[in-house]
Amino acid sequence: MISRRTIAAAAAGLLLGTLALAGCSGDSGSGGEGEVAGTLDFYTDKAAWKPDFESLNEVSGDAVDITLKTTGYSDANQYDAFIKQSFRTDKSPGLFTWHTGESLKQLVDEGLVAETTDIWSKAVDEGWVSEDLRDSYTFDGKQYCVPMNIAYWIMFYNKAAFADNGIEVPTTWDELNTAAETLKDAGVTPYYQTSVLFTFQWFQHLVASTDPDLYAGLTTGDAKYTDPEIVDIMNVWLDEQKAGWFSDAGSTTDPAVGLKQGDYAMINFGTFFAGNLEGAGMTTDDYGMFAIPAVSDDLDATPVAVESGPICTAENSKQRDLGLAYAEWWMSPDAQTAWNDAHGDVAFNPKAKVSDPALAEIGEQIAGDDYMLYDRFFEAMPTEIVTTAIEQFGAFNANPGDPMPFLEKIQATADKYWAEQE
Amino acid sequence: MAHQKTPYQWSARGFVAPGVILVAVLLYLPLLWTVFLSFTKYNGLGSPKWIGLDNYVEMFTDGDFVGSAMNTVLWVIGTLIIPVGIGLAIALLTWNLGGGIWLRLPFLIPYALSGIGVGVVWSFILSSGGALDQALAAFGITDPPRWLLDAPLNTVVMIIASSWQGVGVNALLFTIGLQAIPKEPLEAARIDGAGGVRLFTSILWPMLRPLTAVVVGLSIVASLKTFDIVWGMTKGGPGTVSETLALTMYKETFVNSDYGLGSAIAVFLTVITLVASVLYLRQQLSPKKEM
Repeated sequence: MISRRTIAAAAAGLLLGTLALAGCSGDSGSGGEGEVAGTLDFYTDKAAWKPDFESLNEVSGDAVDITLKTTGYSDANQYDAFIKQSFRTDKSPGLFTWHTGESLKQLVDEGLVAETTDIWSKAVDEGWVSEDLRDSYTFDGKQYCVPMNIAYWIMFYNKAAFADNGIEVPTTWDELNTAAETLKDAGVTPYYQTSVLFTFQWFQHLVASTDPDLYAGLTTGDAKYTDPEIVDIMNVWLDEQKAGWFSDAGSTTDPAVGLKQGDYAMINFGTFFAGNLEGAGMTTDDYGMFAIPAVSDDLDATPVAVESGPICTAENSKQRDLGLAYAEWWMSPDAQTAWNDAHGDVAFNPKAKVSDPALAEIGEQIAGDDYMLYDRFFEAMPTEIVTTAIEQFGAFNANPGDPMPFLEKIQATADKYWAEQE
Repeated sequence: MAHQKTPYQWSARGFVAPGVILVAVLLYLPLLWTVFLSFTKYNGLGSPKWIGLDNYVEMFTDGDFVGSAMNTVLWVIGTLIIPVGIGLAIALLTWNLGGGIWLRLPFLIPYALSGIGVGVVWSFILSSGGALDQALAAFGITDPPRWLLDAPLNTVVMIIASSWQGVGVNALLFTIGLQAIPKEPLEAARIDGAGGVRLFTSILWPMLRPLTAVVVGLSIVASLKTFDIVWGMTKGGPGTVSETLALTMYKETFVNSDYGLGSAIAVFLTVITLVASVLYLRQQLSPKKEM
């Protein structure tokens, strides 16, 4: 007869065995250590883009014998925690999307991502990428990760709303303000705004195109959010708020649908928003794009915010070589043409073909000498400051008033952050 | 005198071991790790750096934390009054009523939804120009309150949304409590002429007390950790005006990657929840108390 002791021991053994097996399990791609061909496990917080990424498997085989197996997360915070945790295991990813700015610096400081200096040198030599973009990926003179994409933060507008009110695409700050006034007088709200997440873009444009050095000062802590120059800029924003130029910050209508319906005539977003507008049923006959004119007339070039998301390889990944081989191919014109075909946006590689003519046109325009690029607020500022700032700008949008209390809260977070860096 | 371990005791330990190991690994270790992290500066990468009580000092001196704590108190009070109160009322009104279950059932259906789902649905209703505003406009009210933009109104309407989900289960629990009350004292009270309010205050309410203690206790714990519905409706905003402690904890940990400060808030929340629960349940369920 089996004793209870035996049963108990067996149960405990079974439990421990199950836990051990669970720890060992997990499907990983076929490309193992040192290999540069096979299936590459790819992780991204852009779950909706999974089909776009995987569509590249059809063309990648011609150049590199690597196919992506994509795992998409739809919650960015959950994704970040997962990636950070993975570095402690032997399952760190061979390829994963991340963020530039402080988030990437943290990974580099800990030696967690593979160096890509050789890939960048080749890409720059081949004219596949600009030197400017390299700066966002450079730490102590070395490069880490490669750009997954870039997006310029520009103005989208409803062509019918402009045409109905006799408005031409504005090329100066005064023309933009006149357009806003004309629209408002005609009963059309000029600009979209919200109180959650995407609340920073108007601030970033007002500051960077009034004084690019002031914007740069905010990124380094040399300028304060409570400086008189920033307060003056916020008062410009406040005047526009009081004039009724912005939409209701509490609306949850999809911004693309709102633009289509004519709830507002203009919306300041990244070039990727063209895809949202297409998804909402608009075509380039219905919407247009323009680089937002600078506030200051004295600048040699119009500042345009640029955002770039990286694709990285974990230094200790079993698929490190596979990931780097794919990253090298990813920067090539063939890969970027295929990517642009799958996922419409501007391209970081000037030799890639941009499938959407309107995006191609604005991409070429902004890449010209009349424009200068600066890092988007989200990546340019430390994360804690971004969190407080987007909350406070959201509160300002919801209840526009004296800007000082909002700015003081942001500066309090900035003071704490910069003090910790000393 | 040291007891000799019998084979029975050894096998008993063997049976208990898997459960003990699971509890230790999955519950106690994470708890201890969180307490440790609360004394450190840690961004989720590398090694935590010991900074003593700094996180706690920062937490208690931060105005936004105080705001979160006040909102959480509002949630505790609100969920005691609305879902518990209405749940009791529904149970009383449908108890002993033919087909009462069909009256209670609709209130239970929202309980099947996730908090995030409830948040998303209610944000469609309450956002500016949303379903409620459109309905009010049909009655000529064109300048309705800004439900989700102004504090403390946004917290109040979120408590109502949460109540919509939670009232059914409270009604169910109270109904079970009412059905468990012995018939004899009820009949005796009725023969003595008690009915309506008098029957409730003198007989039903005292006899429901153990169950009320559980419902209220659960409600306190649930409201202290309110997160999903707020995340789904306002993300704690505009600014931080509708944040709760659980949301601040999440934001510091997973948005700002300040695992130390997030852990300190988690420890504070755990202590508050435990103290509130223990004090309340001890006071309510003490065997010395007469029903």
